[in-house]
Parts: sequence; structure tokens; C-alpha cells
Amino acid sequence: MPLPLRLPPRYTVLPWFNLTHDKRHLLTAIGGVAFAALLMFIFLGFKNALYDSQIQLLQRLNGDIVVINKIKENMFVPEQFARRRLYQAQAFDGVEDAYPIYIAVGNWKNPDSKKVIPLRVIAFNPDDPVLPLPGIVNQTDTLKLPWTTVIDGRSRSEVGPTEAGITTELMEQQINVVGNFSLGTDFAAGNGNIVMSDQNFIRYFARLGPEKDSRTLSTVDIGLLTVAPGSDVSGLVDVLRDRLPDDVAIFSKDEFALRERIYWEENTNIGFVFSLLTSMSFVVGIILVYQILYTDVADHWAEYATLKAIGYTNGHLLMIVIQEAMVLALIGFIPSVIVSYLLYDSAAEATGLLLQMTTERALNIFIATVIMCLVSGAIAVRKVLIADPADVFG
Amino acid sequence: MKTPLAWLNLVHEKTRLVAAIAGVVFAVLLVFMNLGFMGALSLTASQIYEQMNADIFLYSPKTLEITTSEPFPIERIYQAAGIKGVKRVMPLYVGYVQWKNPETRVNRAMFSYGFNLNDPVFKLPELSDPETLRRLQQPDTVAFDRQSRPEFGPQDIGIQTELDRRSVEIVGQYSLGGGFAADGTVIMSDQNYRRYFDPRPLSTIDFGLIQIEEGVDPQQMVDMLDKILPEDVAVMTQAQLTERERVYWLTNTSIGFIFSLGVGVAVIVGVVIVYQVLYTDISNHMIEYSTLKAMGYGRWFLFGIVLQEALILAILGYIPGFALAMGLYDLTIKATAGTLPVGMTLQRAVFVLILTVMMCCLSGLVSVQKAVNADPAEVFS
Repeated sequence: MPLPLRLPPRYTVLPWFNLTHDKRHLLTAIGGVAFAALLMFIFLGFKNALYDSQIQLLQRLNGDIVVINKIKENMFVPEQFARRRLYQAQAFDGVEDAYPIYIAVGNWKNPDSKKVIPLRVIAFNPDDPVLPLPGIVNQTDTLKLPWTTVIDGRSRSEVGPTEAGITTELMEQQINVVGNFSLGTDFAAGNGNIVMSDQNFIRYFARLGPEKDSRTLSTVDIGLLTVAPGSDVSGLVDVLRDRLPDDVAIFSKDEFALRERIYWEENTNIGFVFSLLTSMSFVVGIILVYQILYTDVADHWAEYATLKAIGYTNGHLLMIVIQEAMVLALIGFIPSVIVSYLLYDSAAEATGLLLQMTTERALNIFIATVIMCLVSGAIAVRKVLIADPADVFG
Repeated sequence: MKTPLAWLNLVHEKTRLVAAIAGVVFAVLLVFMNLGFMGALSLTASQIYEQMNADIFLYSPKTLEITTSEPFPIERIYQAAGIKGVKRVMPLYVGYVQWKNPETRVNRAMFSYGFNLNDPVFKLPELSDPETLRRLQQPDTVAFDRQSRPEFGPQDIGIQTELDRRSVEIVGQYSLGGGFAADGTVIMSDQNYRRYFDPRPLSTIDFGLIQIEEGVDPQQMVDMLDKILPEDVAVMTQAQLTERERVYWLTNTSIGFIFSLGVGVAVIVGVVIVYQVLYTDISNHMIEYSTLKAMGYGRWFLFGIVLQEALILAILGYIPGFALAMGLYDLTIKATAGTLPVGMTLQRAVFVLILTVMMCCLSGLVSVQKAVNADPAEVFS
């Protein structure tokens, strides 16, 4: 294969020639590395997806400070606090606005199959910019009408069709879908979400009958505070913690999201399961790449021995294999990114989870792939280093 | 004497053999872990129902799985009680309630079972102890599941804390486990359930448990109940309900999807690794294989050798993979404080063995193509 590079004479790009010598072998090798990287992408992707999905609603909320009931340790805990705490908070210097958010689980009837499944209902005053997602902000006026809602287009398929214009039932009362937005599922909302106005919220949840806790607008699930531009958020959080009664807990939005993530990572079985699977995929990757590099070394056994005999040092040989490992890591990584991109898309489609490929994560996996290749390269080359040329040709 | 060619080919390069086996071991391990987690999902579902003393269950058609149950009128079990062949009917109330860890003061969602203590709802031996039952009859008392996550705090009898902001005392212990949906459970009397789940009345129940007379066919009874009872309840035998719960977890949740994908990925890993090993072996011994061919050995002989190699790799990889999986299962149970009961079953062990053998043979067949199709004349030219 002619090399497009203009290299100084007498310089042989050995690692490159070694790799490209046998095309079929090269393809298998690249496939192997790509697969090892893909494996990490899959398990790490799911692990992150479960955590990211958990906090995506929190991150999309348009505020800087979050007020919740003190015993609401995570989004699963259905505990509310008194709305007057928000009025109190609003009186502090630096707090611009305070928005109450009401959350409940409502029984939604799939208009096609007539099956009833639980959905998470998120309600707020449509005039408050609480959840500035397209599909919500442009429906402000229609959401103010009675019996209307917008539905999460990424809800699970069991929810049924999510187009505007559908009429079905929520909590055994009629509801009209006037639009949809895109959010996705998580553990607290395993099937999906709908958003409605606070006035509609009490239509559905204020008169639940004697056997259930009915809701009013005077208790709030999440309070959202926005601060004046230039204010010190963490200073304000400290002041509010100090001054507001002890029945509420106050966090900056990032702290709140972090707390939620840590809960899922450390205090649930899911966290353990995925950490285990991710670390296993790394080890599997090392073994896979080792096989590939070892094959290469074994194939060129005589050539390596010849190099040694004509005076190449162990350092040279090590460099060759390391360079091969790097080239494999580089080339193998590219298809794995592309395939994981497609895989993430289809898995997100199937589960409604948020599978994100961020630059940082791709970079981390790239580094892991390189380390994987280097470790396996270092193990594979050992045999060449200790070999005596005389033995090889003997 | 016949030469064990396959074996000699494999052990010729010790390091690579070790790496090859390690590859198979990890593929086996990955399959075992994913299947184990999947199994734990269904095991926890069945464990709960199998611990219940009932042949037939009534539940609301809106109930997805045990922790998201919808109540239905208690009259349905009274209607069922009037049918000939029904021995006993028992109401069961369930639900989440916030348990305060007495040490850290942190609340966590606790799954609660409430029932009339005179009904033998659970087969748990601890609940037949008259002293425990007497104490559970008292207000604000519960029995605590030993298989609850440590985040719930100490489990000793006599511990006092808060359940839904109401005082509570632990007066007994049992072992049940809640699995993926609930990582801590308590049992309480129906009277206490009324207290903690106020304003919910006892006249709507989550599950109706039905025991039938000996000699009555459960399936016929289910059909009859289905016909007689209104449509606001569904009727199933214990086995059917367990299966329904299992299917829910595996197909309707993201977790089920992820683990099934995990099994598939692990098998592909295994195929790729074994392919690499066998392909290398064949490339390295191309001359020897060609010589064999030139001497008159048929293609089936070559197939046979590579398949034997694949089989040896499969078995040598399966054994440590199996042992490691047992170790990791133990680790998982310890790390999740017994709430995730991953355990080896004979069925799974056999299934993975077959899968491993198939995986190795598949890679063997793919890799042997080169040797089979080679013309000895070309190899030596």
C-alpha cells in the first residue's frame, strides 16, 4: 500500500506496514478494538443514562434555587411543603421570583388500548417560565383552558399516541392533549410525563374521594426561585437556609441535581449493578485487544527477531508495538463512536431514557481505549523482548 | 496412538492460551451477570407471591406490578367466599410509606404489607410466633424485613422511629426481600395500616388472596371467578400472577431491556474473542494444516480439529467463569445487603454452558474457512 506521506529515505513506517500487511487481519483487529470500545460505550452509556434521566427534569427547570420539603430525600418521595414558604423566600433581597411546581402521579388511559397506566403530572402556572421547553412555552394560552395538557412525546409506547388533538382520560376525567414536548422517562416517571396548568391540576387531583390524599394548591412539591442577575447564589442559599423554618430544605439547582444523582449511584441496587458491568467491560476490552496484538506479534515473529539481530533495541521493538496499539486505538475508536451513536438513538427510542454522548464522555472512553490498547500491547510484546534471535531461527 | 492435535495446538503457546481462556471466562461471566440480574428481577417478583399462602389472587386490572397496585372494593373477596370450593379469602393492603432511619434521620420509601393478623397471609415462620403476633396487634408496631438495605438503619427489635411522621416500634423480624421495586419492607396489622395510610379505608384492598379446598382445580376456579366477579377485578393463579409480574419487569421497564441487551453483547464478545484465538492458530499453522491436507486428510478432519479446539476453549473458559460468577453473585448480595437475590440456578448454568459451546463452535466454523479452502500447492509455492 503506497503511503501518502513523504518520509525521509531509509525510514520505514514499520508499525503501519505491520498492520496493513494483511488486510483481512487488519479489519478483524480494528473490528476487535472497535467492539471493545463499543462495549464500554454501551454499559457506561446505560449507567449514565439512568442517572442523567433522573436529573434531566431538574436541570431543565428554569431557576437557580430549589426549595423542597425537608424529608424529600429524592424525587421518589411524594412530600410537599407549605406554599407560604415561597412567599417568605420572595421577600429576601436577591430573590426575583418564586414559582410553585406541583407533581403527582395520575392514571392515564391509553386512548387506543384503553389500558390505564400511571404518568407523572407536572403542573405550574403557565405564565411562570418554569419549564421553558418548546411545546410548553408556545402553548401557554391553550394550557390555560380547562381540561388541557401537553404530553411528553418520549413517553413509553404503552402511553399510546401523543399527537395534539387526542382526547382521553386522566384520573377518570376527560383530558385534551393540545401539544407535546420532549423530556423522557426516569425511575420516578417510568412511563412518561404530562404538563398542565395549576388550575387544571386541582381539577384532577383536588377531589380524589375519601380514600386518597387530595391535593390543594397550598402545598407545593418543588419551589423554584430565580435570583436577580449578579446575585451570589450560594450566599443566598445560606441565608435562606438560616432564615426559613426548618421544615424546608434549600439547595442551589446544581446541588439538588448532584444530590439526586448521588442517591441513585450510592443508595440503590441499580448503581451497584451498572458499576460492576462497566468495570467488567473494560477488562474484557483488554483481553480482546491483547489477542489482536499478540496475533500480530506472533505473525511477525521472525521479522522481530531479525530486527533484534541487526541491532534494534528492545526499546525500538516496544515502540513499534506501542505505535501499533495507538493506531489500532485511533482507527478502532471511530467506528465504535458511530455505532454507539446509532445504538444510543435506538435504545433511547425503545426505553425513553436519555442516552447522551457528550464530548467529555467520548473523550473518557477514548482515553480508556488507548489505555486498554497500551496495556495489552505491553503484555503482548513481552515475548519479543525476552526472545533470543538465535532461538527463533534455530 | 492418535495425536491429540487440537489439544497440542492450543497448549503450544501458553500465554495466548491463558489469554484466550480469560476471554471466554469474561464472556461467560458477562452473560452470567446479566442473566443473574435479570433472574433477580423475576425471582423477587415470584418470591413475594410464593411466600403468600394463596392459590388464587384477585387484583385490579390497573395494577401493573405489586408496588403500583390500584385498590378495588373488598366486597369482591366476599363474593368469592360464597363460591363452593373456596376455603378462605384474605385481604392484603400494600403501599409505600416513608421510614425514618433513627440514626441518620434520613427518610426512605418503605414498602409495607398490611393484613389481618388472624389470616395466614405469609408462610414466614416468624409470623406464627404468638408473642410477635400479640405485639403486632398493638398500635404503631411493625415487623421489619432483615433483607432491607442498610440505609433504613438498625433492624433490632425495640427500635423506635417514625413511619410517615408517626411513631413506630419494631416488634419482630422476618426475611422476605423486595428486589428492584422495593429495597425495604415492613409487615403490619390492617389496623396499623389504617393508621399509617390514613385516609385510606380498609374497604378497598390491593390484593385478594383466595385459598381453595383440596381437590379443586385452580384453573377452573379462576375461570369461574372470572365469570362471576365484575370487571373491576382480575383473577389469576399464583403461577400466572408471578409470570405476569416477571413479564412486566422484563419487557415494560428500561432495566429489563438493558439486561437483555447485555446478554446479547456478551455473547458477541465471546464469539469475537474465540474467533481471534482460533484464527491466529490457523494462520500460524497454515503450513501444517496444508501438509495435512496434502497428505490426504479431508476437510472434515480440519473442521473436527478446530471444533475440538473450540470445545476445549469453551469448557476451560466455562469452569472458571462459573466459579467467578458465583463469587460475583455473592459480592452482589453482600453489596446490596441481600436485597438483590442473584443466585445460580441449574437451568441458567446449563443454558450458559450450551450458549458458550455454541458461541465457541460458531467462531470455530467461521475461522476454519481459510484452512479448509486453502490449496496446499499455493501455501508451499
